[in-house]
Amino acid sequence: MTNDPGESGLHFEQFLDDFYVECDEHLSVARRAVLALEASLQQEVIDRGLLDELFRSFHSIKGLSAMVGLQVAEQLAHGLESYLGLLRKAQTKLTSEGLEALVAGVIAIEQVVAAKRDGAPKPDVTELTKRLEALLPSTAVNEAVPKSSAQGAPSGSTSTDVAAKVAMKLVDGGRAWSVHFAPSPAGSELGINVNSVRAELLQLGTLVHSEPRIEAGGRVAFLFLLITPGQDPPQFTMKEGLTVTPYEPASPVVESDAAPSATTDSESGAARGGGSTHLVPANLVRVDLGRLDELMRMVGELVLSRARLQDALQRLHDIIPSAERRTLEEVNLVIERQLRDLREGVMRIRMVPVHEVFARMQFVIRDLVREQGKRAALHLSGEETQIDKFIVERMMDPLLHLIRNAVSHGLESPEERIAAGKSPEARIDLRAATIGDTIVVEVEDDGRGIDAAKVLARAEAMGMAPRSTNDPAALLDILCAPGFSTREEADRSSGRGVGMDVVRRAVEELGGALIVHTKLGFGTRFVIHLPLTLAITDALIVSVHGERYAVPQVAVREVIQIESTSITTIENNELLTHHGRALPLLRLDRFFGARNRQAIAAHHVLVVGDGSDALGLVVERILGLREVVVRPLTDRLVQVPGISGATELGDGQVVLILDVADLKRNSRNRKLASTGERYAGGRHDAANQVKQTGAKP
Amino acid sequence: MGVESRRVLVVDDSATMRRMVKLTLSGLANAEFVDAGNGLEAIEQLSLTKFDLVILDLNMPDMHGLEVVKFLRKHAAFKKIPIIVLTTRSDDAGRESVLAAGASLYMNKPFEPAKLMEHARHFLDVQ
Repeated sequence: MTNDPGESGLHFEQFLDDFYVECDEHLSVARRAVLALEASLQQEVIDRGLLDELFRSFHSIKGLSAMVGLQVAEQLAHGLESYLGLLRKAQTKLTSEGLEALVAGVIAIEQVVAAKRDGAPKPDVTELTKRLEALLPSTAVNEAVPKSSAQGAPSGSTSTDVAAKVAMKLVDGGRAWSVHFAPSPAGSELGINVNSVRAELLQLGTLVHSEPRIEAGGRVAFLFLLITPGQDPPQFTMKEGLTVTPYEPASPVVESDAAPSATTDSESGAARGGGSTHLVPANLVRVDLGRLDELMRMVGELVLSRARLQDALQRLHDIIPSAERRTLEEVNLVIERQLRDLREGVMRIRMVPVHEVFARMQFVIRDLVREQGKRAALHLSGEETQIDKFIVERMMDPLLHLIRNAVSHGLESPEERIAAGKSPEARIDLRAATIGDTIVVEVEDDGRGIDAAKVLARAEAMGMAPRSTNDPAALLDILCAPGFSTREEADRSSGRGVGMDVVRRAVEELGGALIVHTKLGFGTRFVIHLPLTLAITDALIVSVHGERYAVPQVAVREVIQIESTSITTIENNELLTHHGRALPLLRLDRFFGARNRQAIAAHHVLVVGDGSDALGLVVERILGLREVVVRPLTDRLVQVPGISGATELGDGQVVLILDVADLKRNSRNRKLASTGERYAGGRHDAANQVKQTGAKP
Repeated sequence: MGVESRRVLVVDDSATMRRMVKLTLSGLANAEFVDAGNGLEAIEQLSLTKFDLVILDLNMPDMHGLEVVKFLRKHAAFKKIPIIVLTTRSDDAGRESVLAAGASLYMNKPFEPAKLMEHARHFLDVQ
């Protein structure tokens, strides 16, 4: 690249995307730090590491915003940074107003940046700017660079500082070590450098101090002070250039009083709930998600090619001599396994821990609860659960909505809670877990629960024709009907244009499912099931009257074999008694329009869904379990109820992938008799669309 | 073998900022850029290979840019290397302390691309 960026006035707008990403990272760090600060509101001494971290986040946002010409964010960040500067110099104490301003500031910057990204009008921040100014003494507002320049700059740690720090950390046990690292070009080529060494030290214990040194002969080395939980010396995976000695307060580490030094206090890391984001080691790379999509697409093509190979092998079964055939089949199996590993490897790259999302929710809850005069404690679990980055992005808004609902509609006021015999402080649980091939995310509150009778009455008033709401799935159908709200007026926090319908659509578009459990007076729990990843999935291939369909394995609870005689028909609905319950059945051939053909005789039933939400899909044959590459049906004109996408099998044929959530909903609505024919045309259009556009080999 | 390339170390904890600086200076002839994301990494890079110019941010985690300047100026091998401190205005460390510590030039972010280019050219040509 040799383009000269011109003379002046350049605002580096081509870096806007990077700016958004980096702002997002800084805001995440800031959110966690602000929440951690809240805990120290009452304390005399505030963790300096937290203040430094927060200061740096705002400082970086300020600098970047200025570079891309986003002055509103720049000024906000500047105000916040100035306030933190005062706190750092202990010129002012952290007050609850100050903390509120920090919270509001983070939210405002987020909104300003989002508005820029979405091309939306800038949010009004005058009120907040005034609040920030009120926190600062008049001199600090305009004087960005005071004459007494060094006062806020980090001073080199003195030996007594370091010794005191070590002594403090050793109170909890453990042992201190001096780690000496001499970088070398050879080590550097092996990836052994100051960043990788420090990253490893952070894994081994608490890094108390780090500094560069000049050794005899003018060589540069680095000294780290590490505290390990145990008494044994730390074991390094890479030893090149490293020397470990037990730390003694008089050892050379600390004699260099005047030497410039850097202080690492990983205590703030612990306060943030792990995950050190402020140190970005050199071995981490940031990758555009689009490139990973591309990689996954290529893996998908490989999966298809292998399926074709397998198909060809089967056709040649009788022609190839058995010994050679066995070799070919073995190789084919090895390729299959390797492909699976490759797929998992690519998938892992796309995974991010959910704690970032959770921290953001924590922030939102905190703000909402305060605004509405409620009291609530948030409990998080499974923050380390890894979720596909794309899915995380898509789930952000739905989760925010569920959280807002929980606080606004679910939680009672402290007075109401006391009157109901509950603790005045409500509890909200945010959980994540990986269960098999699914990610389960739950939002639970111990508030008033959903009043099914009220929901029913409201639905009737709105002209809907709801069924009984004893069934949670039916209740959810009403809650998720477009435009449905039990509140006469949408309140500020919940009524932001996203309704439960949007939440459910978002979950289902990702191939997931939304379930609600509620008990009047005791609370509500929303459960979201999501697939681990989107592009490739395991599916059962079934056939009915020669038509093949793919059913995502994740959705299938059970496969049972039945006889026609065991099916009972009540008012046009077919039922099967299974596990002592009536399981409604859905015949795929009828659903997709083949009503005139004879009913199939021998059946397999795939049970999808749980409890009252369960449904049996009646199919003729089960052809096997395959790894399928999902191609979504994007053309709205050929979007078909009950179909989420298509895939290609080894023989080059296109097979439609069933949208199980949609089938369950359709079954609940029991309008199959009239809808069957309507869908028939669509099914073939959809298959054609995929044949023409989607499934290029 | 043509003209020996001139090596520029760009030190900033923000990858975006480093890219902005590199884009700005991409018109420099025979320039080769190396990134460092923090102070310690910068010092390591400088100790391993020769550089002709350092563009240094101040507010970085782990080791403040001001401390990097102080360290480099104490070391004979780094005494002469030009250091342009490029930092967002803050009450953290001002122009005076940075220049007193031995930086060659202090510039504020947001920076004027043409100015940065001019200064970088100047320091590279002087050598």
